[in-house]
Amino acid sequence: MLTSLKRILKFSWIGFLRNKALVLEVIFVITISMSLITSLFLSQGVSEFLINYLQDKADISVYFKQNTSEQDIVGVEEALYQFSNEIESVEYVSQEKALQIFTETHKNDPESLQALEEVGDNPFLPSLVIKARDPIYYVQISNYLSQDSFKDVIDKIPYYDNKRVVDRLSAITDGIKKFTIGMGLILGLLAVFITFNTIRLTISASKDEISTMRLVGASNWFIKGPFIIQGILYGVISILIVDILFFILLMFFSPRLQVFFSGFNLLNYFRTEYGSLFLIQIIFVGIVSIVSTLLALNKHLKI
Amino acid sequence: MILFQNVTKIYHSELSPNHIPALNDISFKIEPKEFLSIVGRSGAGKTTLIKLLIGEEDITKGNIFFRNENIKETKFNELQKIRRKIGVVYQDYRLLFSKTVYENISYIMEVMGFSDKEISKSVSQVLEIVGLQDKTRSFPKELSGGEQQRLAIARALVHKPDLVIADEPTGNLDPYNTFEIINLFKKINESGATVILATHDRRVIDNLNKRVITLEEGKLVRDEKSGKFIL
Repeated sequence: MLTSLKRILKFSWIGFLRNKALVLEVIFVITISMSLITSLFLSQGVSEFLINYLQDKADISVYFKQNTSEQDIVGVEEALYQFSNEIESVEYVSQEKALQIFTETHKNDPESLQALEEVGDNPFLPSLVIKARDPIYYVQISNYLSQDSFKDVIDKIPYYDNKRVVDRLSAITDGIKKFTIGMGLILGLLAVFITFNTIRLTISASKDEISTMRLVGASNWFIKGPFIIQGILYGVISILIVDILFFILLMFFSPRLQVFFSGFNLLNYFRTEYGSLFLIQIIFVGIVSIVSTLLALNKHLKI
Repeated sequence: MILFQNVTKIYHSELSPNHIPALNDISFKIEPKEFLSIVGRSGAGKTTLIKLLIGEEDITKGNIFFRNENIKETKFNELQKIRRKIGVVYQDYRLLFSKTVYENISYIMEVMGFSDKEISKSVSQVLEIVGLQDKTRSFPKELSGGEQQRLAIARALVHKPDLVIADEPTGNLDPYNTFEIINLFKKINESGATVILATHDRRVIDNLNKRVITLEEGKLVRDEKSGKFIL
């Protein structure tokens, strides 16, 4: 058993070293397919970031009537607990805090500050700023708060004014999700197709030798083993090339892309998520190489 | 040792509706340690007969037994074990072109699990016998036709098989080498192995003075204990 394994490894290595041109061609093609997988992984990270970023920008404010007691406001906040699956956060902004935020935001805008001074009193209403887990939940939350039971305390919910913006945001995030999934499927299938065909062609080139090996009495694993190990070697070398290449490219281009991607740092993402990426690459190469090799070999193992 | 029992082989062609049998109801027996020559014109069925014996082609009708094992019903693993007991010199050599001369010969012994030391010793011996001792690191494509044929012979003999089958083993050899190789087969036969030799070469058959089976258009037309080349 151990002798056979040693010999299978020897055959793999000798085959790998002797067919340099073929090995380079195969590694080149698998490198392209691994680049597709890696790009897909990075684009998935970018799209996730962009979706969160856009969703983070959306919220609704529920304005309470002047002189609504803090107890009533807390009551409304507690009533929203039933939406714990839909709501990410609820923040209470008192009249004083609203004024403070306005002053802070407009400190370089003397006209606004003067207008505020002319009003005299604090004109701001207390409010709850609600952030949903997904923009689609805003309708549901707004409808709930528009019930008669809240009429005495709630002054206005300007959701319906912002509805168009929220709907557009939903459409954009939905579009990004669909695009990522669609591209993932296309690129993933393309990568599988390229790798499978390359390995199949490599094995087809050895079909006469495979028949001869069968006729001299070699067991299936004695024949299959070297091809499987060579397939894995092609994959591992391709992964190393792709990862080093992407790291170098991201070092140069990540700062420029960061501006384009609303602050998303691709190099940091590549570094922090490298474990998952490597695992995906290894699983992809392992499964595709082994399955392709076995399928291609079985075709020639019929004697 | 080997029994052919009413063996028929028909090749089905998609282009022709008439299926002409390559072998037609062949029956004969080969005893252990026998030296049997099979003669016949091209297309008589010599190579098909060998292919059926080693399980390379399926039998259409009849049975072939190798040491009481029916080749048709043998499972793959068992068939591989049988193949390891047979050394075949193919008409088209069937060499492993990505392997060196040494590796082509050692492969069968590696398959059988011999130690590296035993392999090295046996390969060196057989290389010397076929005169390829200076070509160990060459690849088959770097050899002449005659050298490739001798390499195929070396591969068939290195693991000292119980049965040696040679399909036109002297086709590319000059008269001197032909004589040497036939003598080698005779020696192997004397040491206990069964030998089946399929050939066109009248001189080889006439000098052997061994059993000869003659095939004509897939039929066995003659089986003589001490036969001559008659077509």
